[in-house]
Amino acid sequence: MKRTVKIISLILVLSVVVGCVFALSACNKNDNEHKEKLVVGLECAYIPFNFTQMTDANGAVKISNAEGYANGYDILIAKRIADALGKELVITKLDWDSLVPGVKAGTLDLIIAGMSPTAERRESIDFSDSYYESNLVIVVRQDGRYARATSLADFAGANLVAQQGTFHDAALEAQAATYGITRGTPMATFPDMTVALNSKAIDGYVAEEPGAIADCAANSQLTYVHLKNNENGFKASAEDTSLAIGMRYGYDQKDAINNVLSGISADERLSLMESAVQYSTDNSSSETQSTFFTRIGGIFQKYYAWILKGVGYTILVAIVGTVVGLFIGLLIGMYRTLDKPKNKFLAVLKKIGDVILSIYIEVFRGTPMMVQAMVIFWGFALLNDGNTMNVTLAGLIIVSINTGAYMAEIVRGGIISVDKGQFEGAQAIGMTHSQTMWNVILPQALRNIMPSVANEFVINIKDTSVLNVIGFTELFFYGKSIALNTYATFETYLVIAAIYFVLTFTITRILRLVEKKMDGKKDYRIMGSQNMDAESIVRENKATGENQQ
Amino acid sequence: MKNDERIENIETINDIENTVQNAETTVESTENDSSTSLLDKNPVEEPIIEIRHLGKNFGDHEVLKDIDFDVYKGDVTCIIGSSGSGKSTLLRCINLFETPTAGEIYYHGEDITKTKSAPKYREKVTMVFQSFNLFNNMSVLSNCTIGPRKVLKMKKTEANEIALKYLELVGMSAYVNAKPKQLSGGQKQRVAIARALAMSPEVILFDEPTSALDPEMVGEVLEVMKDLAESGLTMLVVTHEMAFARDVANKVVFMDGGVIVEQGSPDEIFTSPKEDRTKAFLSRMLQEQSRNSQNA
Repeated sequence: MKRTVKIISLILVLSVVVGCVFALSACNKNDNEHKEKLVVGLECAYIPFNFTQMTDANGAVKISNAEGYANGYDILIAKRIADALGKELVITKLDWDSLVPGVKAGTLDLIIAGMSPTAERRESIDFSDSYYESNLVIVVRQDGRYARATSLADFAGANLVAQQGTFHDAALEAQAATYGITRGTPMATFPDMTVALNSKAIDGYVAEEPGAIADCAANSQLTYVHLKNNENGFKASAEDTSLAIGMRYGYDQKDAINNVLSGISADERLSLMESAVQYSTDNSSSETQSTFFTRIGGIFQKYYAWILKGVGYTILVAIVGTVVGLFIGLLIGMYRTLDKPKNKFLAVLKKIGDVILSIYIEVFRGTPMMVQAMVIFWGFALLNDGNTMNVTLAGLIIVSINTGAYMAEIVRGGIISVDKGQFEGAQAIGMTHSQTMWNVILPQALRNIMPSVANEFVINIKDTSVLNVIGFTELFFYGKSIALNTYATFETYLVIAAIYFVLTFTITRILRLVEKKMDGKKDYRIMGSQNMDAESIVRENKATGENQQ
Repeated sequence: MKNDERIENIETINDIENTVQNAETTVESTENDSSTSLLDKNPVEEPIIEIRHLGKNFGDHEVLKDIDFDVYKGDVTCIIGSSGSGKSTLLRCINLFETPTAGEIYYHGEDITKTKSAPKYREKVTMVFQSFNLFNNMSVLSNCTIGPRKVLKMKKTEANEIALKYLELVGMSAYVNAKPKQLSGGQKQRVAIARALAMSPEVILFDEPTSALDPEMVGEVLEVMKDLAESGLTMLVVTHEMAFARDVANKVVFMDGGVIVEQGSPDEIFTSPKEDRTKAFLSRMLQEQSRNSQNA
């Protein structure tokens, strides 16, 4: 039993050390400031406006908060602006829904992410002049019946989708009924829609022209129907089809940025977009003749570094989250099973503590971890003038306190399940509450709850995938990036699923072994009863130890 | 071996039967003997534990009423009485597992019902339970060393020596590496006694130490307790073993309905009980025990 306690405390110490190293490395990063920074947020997942590359080919810029390099039309524009303002360009990769909060919190200076300056968004943030005007078009299969369509009217009876939360979807929704088009459930990303289109689940999807060009370049079976807004295509206002740079109200560089934008002519914009499309097709491995297996092999070959990093972070967050969570659970479990103090004042304090702990447990068990991550991460940024927590540290903290809430209940159950006689046996020889807890009750409770702890561990490996919303670079985050880059959505997630399974399966087996170890040996040695003293016991123990080796 | 013990037991039961029969006829004659035996004790000696007007209610239910008695050094006191008479509750009150609702318990003159540190007191007044309550997560040796090490802050080697000494005493030193679940009931109870002894307590409270044991294991535990009594350990024993109470105790307390009906030397209680309730209880116990021994 003592060995188990030692192992557990060792793991605890290790995880704390690892956490500190991460925190420190995060601090160091913030220290090396030379030039004033221009922090630009984007998704790195909206070809050809912005996307992730493995290398810095074609002038791609290193992403500050994740693996890889960013490139695309937005990056080309961002570079021009940074040069003109004399600032150092810092690219921050964020989920689409985190971009506007990022600017509001002051974490980001600018959003250059193919974002339209809609009235809704203008309520939260300010926008520059337009830096790109686009048309909405429809991507279809080359061999499909809509490939020869020339106007929206030709899509009668078609099943079309658009990206969730965009004006594409709003435009489609507004006109679908008029033209007898079925509007499917909106999808999250363009690669998802290409997969759906290739699998014939849909007849086409709405995209902006540059995106459509890039998608078709990467998927030889696809083509797009050229439509002109407000003529033969969708009705869309200029505020939607023009793309602008988002910034907070009162940003002092707004005029300077507008100057830079007006200095880029229409022809130049066209050539920038052509380069961006070219870069994106360079980037996505469009091996049209590839088979299922070569695609999977390609994913491993090209992205093994990302996959390994993702696995590393997933295991890190699962281990730290489970161990720290268990520790939190043990503390709360001990606190809650304390005797009611005789002192009135202490009794009131204890009661207050109980209420606070109940609220903590109920709130964290009663809300999704994804929502907790958003609230904590952006709440912290709002309270700290836009300085966000280090994402890794934030992820570890969020998972730990979330797991702690579950563990508190598990530990309580474990303590209750230990026979009451064990408490009395310990108290009868003068042990205090904490001595009883640490030496007698918790070791037994810990053994009893091992299956539940193992279960939490497995859940943590899988469910930490939701941390990708704050940009925590775990396995699913990289899976998403790979899928966006390769357009091989199915193959990528199949690989990711297999890796998750191997992880959970291995860890379940390891914890089974730990449980067996905790139970100790089934048999015992009967000692010779003559000449027994402390020394001979020690000698005997040593001898058996040597035999085992 | 076992058969011999059983025969011995039957013999002792017959003895008690005889003595009780004698008691009913010769109450007067024995009274003088017992009064002299009580006078043997040094009257100036301070009792270790004094119980004064102790009462305990569970809600409206009054379990203990106005309990008064003393425990002197070297006393072996047996508390007897039928189930539900409150004797276990009394023992649990003395160990502060139950908080008394009335009266005081003095330990060397200090009222421990008002004490801040129950653990400090329990170091000196330890308890052996009906259900053993050995620590399931520890070996036999650790069960006996954990108290000396954690509570008395002894070094590991020192604690091992003490634990081994007492395990030897109860005949369990060969099982130091075994876990409690690998032992029989009688073995468990002997380890539990060694665990209590390892704390070098002033008093050990025994709460029906043989009631959860199979009949053939009762003997081995009683044997150990008898040795302890002879070595001068102060013991307070709640028991149904009448032969043990008669042969080993120097004081017997009979409880019924939450009050002490009668207390005195074993002779006084078993040979010449004054109260009708005591007589009724003893004759009932004798019938039961003889029936059991016939069945066995």
